[in-house]
Amino acid sequence: MSRFWESAHTFLKGLVFCLFVCFVWPPALTVSAGELPQQLLIGIEPEHNIFDQVERYRSLARYLTDQLGVEVKLTIMSRYGEVIKRFKTLKLDGAFLTSYTATMAIKELMLEPLVHPVNLSGEMTSQGYIFVRKDSGIGDIDGMRGKSIVFVDPATMEGYLFPLAYFRQHGITDMNREFNRFYFSGSHASAIFGVLDGRADIGAAKSTVFNKLADGDSSIQQELRIIAQSPKVPEITLCLRSEIDSDLRAKLTAVLLQMDKTPQGQKVLEQFQALRFVKSTTADFEKVAEMAQEARAAIGEHGK
Amino acid sequence: MQTSIRPLLSILLAVLFVLAAATASHAEKRIGVIMTGDVPYYGAMHGAFVAEIKKKFAGVEEVEVVLQKPFPNAISWSNAARKLIAFDVDLIVTYGAPATQAVLHEKSRIPLVYAGLYEPDQAKVSGQNVTGCGFKVPMSSIIRYFKRLKLIATLGIVFSSVEEDSVRQYEEMREIAALQNIKTEKIDIRSQTGLDQLLEKNPDAVFITGSALSHLWIDDILSILRKKHIPAADIFPDEQESGVLMTLFQPPQAQGQMAADMAAQILLGAKPGNIPSHTFRDTELVFNLKEARRFGIDFPIQLLIEATKVVK
Repeated sequence: MSRFWESAHTFLKGLVFCLFVCFVWPPALTVSAGELPQQLLIGIEPEHNIFDQVERYRSLARYLTDQLGVEVKLTIMSRYGEVIKRFKTLKLDGAFLTSYTATMAIKELMLEPLVHPVNLSGEMTSQGYIFVRKDSGIGDIDGMRGKSIVFVDPATMEGYLFPLAYFRQHGITDMNREFNRFYFSGSHASAIFGVLDGRADIGAAKSTVFNKLADGDSSIQQELRIIAQSPKVPEITLCLRSEIDSDLRAKLTAVLLQMDKTPQGQKVLEQFQALRFVKSTTADFEKVAEMAQEARAAIGEHGK
Repeated sequence: MQTSIRPLLSILLAVLFVLAAATASHAEKRIGVIMTGDVPYYGAMHGAFVAEIKKKFAGVEEVEVVLQKPFPNAISWSNAARKLIAFDVDLIVTYGAPATQAVLHEKSRIPLVYAGLYEPDQAKVSGQNVTGCGFKVPMSSIIRYFKRLKLIATLGIVFSSVEEDSVRQYEEMREIAALQNIKTEKIDIRSQTGLDQLLEKNPDAVFITGSALSHLWIDDILSILRKKHIPAADIFPDEQESGVLMTLFQPPQAQGQMAADMAAQILLGAKPGNIPSHTFRDTELVFNLKEARRFGIDFPIQLLIEATKVVK
């Protein structure tokens, strides 16, 4: 009898083990492989001064690594226009994206917007500016006809889509015919310097870069006139893949939203040149999507 | 024998004179041109002018261009203007403010087209018989780029008080520098001995205005500055790469072409007063890395990408 119970006990132990192996262990293995990654690979879009930019983000990455217990690695994602492609090829987990690429990534890659920074001036958004030299005599859209324009990059809201949408709203549907020439500078700062130096009559760039340069150089305020401004949108947003573990996502969000409340976090924020992070939502990008739609119609009309 | 040859020689000479006169009078339009100084900037402008005017009148009418390149001083500019008026040209073209003002001073009825004037609106060169084009260079950009390369507490400004547009450029730069708490040192070049001022002063950088006199001795100026380890910026192009660290200039060819277009309209009957003047504002920015190395200056990559040309 006791031998029966002994063998039954052994059988039950084996059965429980088998059941554990069959139903519990594999999912547990899947969770650890797919949802608790060894590292988070985060992309950043290149700015005008890429060396300063890498320094600013490096301290943030170190802080997040310490707080999350997951190594946060950074990678530069080539130029603006290739961000969506590069996101896939680099197998990124997330990225700090400018407003237009964030809008496209949310739509095409199903990324989820997490947080965006509030800059040192207290601004949590940026807007597009269209500007000219004050001594150019250009005061409105009619004065712009026949002149030269510098844009930033085809994949920027402030530096291309906004001016395109603005021109279309004001009756300019053929850029090749209405303007003398146009070119892309590659950075917001270069677009501003291009107009200041006279390489272009009209420029488009984002307000945060414009205002920062103007703070350090009084001639910018004295010599440039802002003709038009776009709606305000988040400047840079951290977006994550939707497959990232929800606990990790929540923890990452919490760390970023709370970091201005700790001395260590404040120091990192200072290096990152931000006051704090605030929560982002997909609704933040609706205005950009509308502008992109208007701009796409303009692109369709003038074929550029 | 000799007596029979003499009348033949006289006839031959007369025929040659008639032929020569006929050739000379074959030029149906005559344009007189005065450069403020014989400097490459005006030379490039004139090259573009001549090429364009020949293109416009090719196969239609012969146009003769009489060029005057006086030494840059008031008497020489005035003499050049008087010569062209006496020559009764159909049109006068001038490069630079001093040559333009010298022609206007003569109050001739000959139409005038100017080019190479700094901010023509500010130059007091308007009139019923006058039109032309000029340029504007944003001086603040020169200070901005200098400041990104080195600390600028004092800026030397090379100009010539006998050249009206050079004086205006000096004043403009002085005001911009003052707004940025940068002291300025006046280096007035009226003759070659004026270069000695460069030996006495020690600014952190030097800005060279578009003065014809200064550019006559640009090699000497740059040689002195190089010995004193002072970088220079110029608003005339340094085509010879003679040692200017940065140049921010309006390409002169565009002004030469526009002056030719205006000249052609006038020669074909248009009134100068009906042709609006034009100010070119497009610029080219050139950084000379060879000079930068000489001065031990590192150009940040963010600055280099702003340049339209980099001399390596």
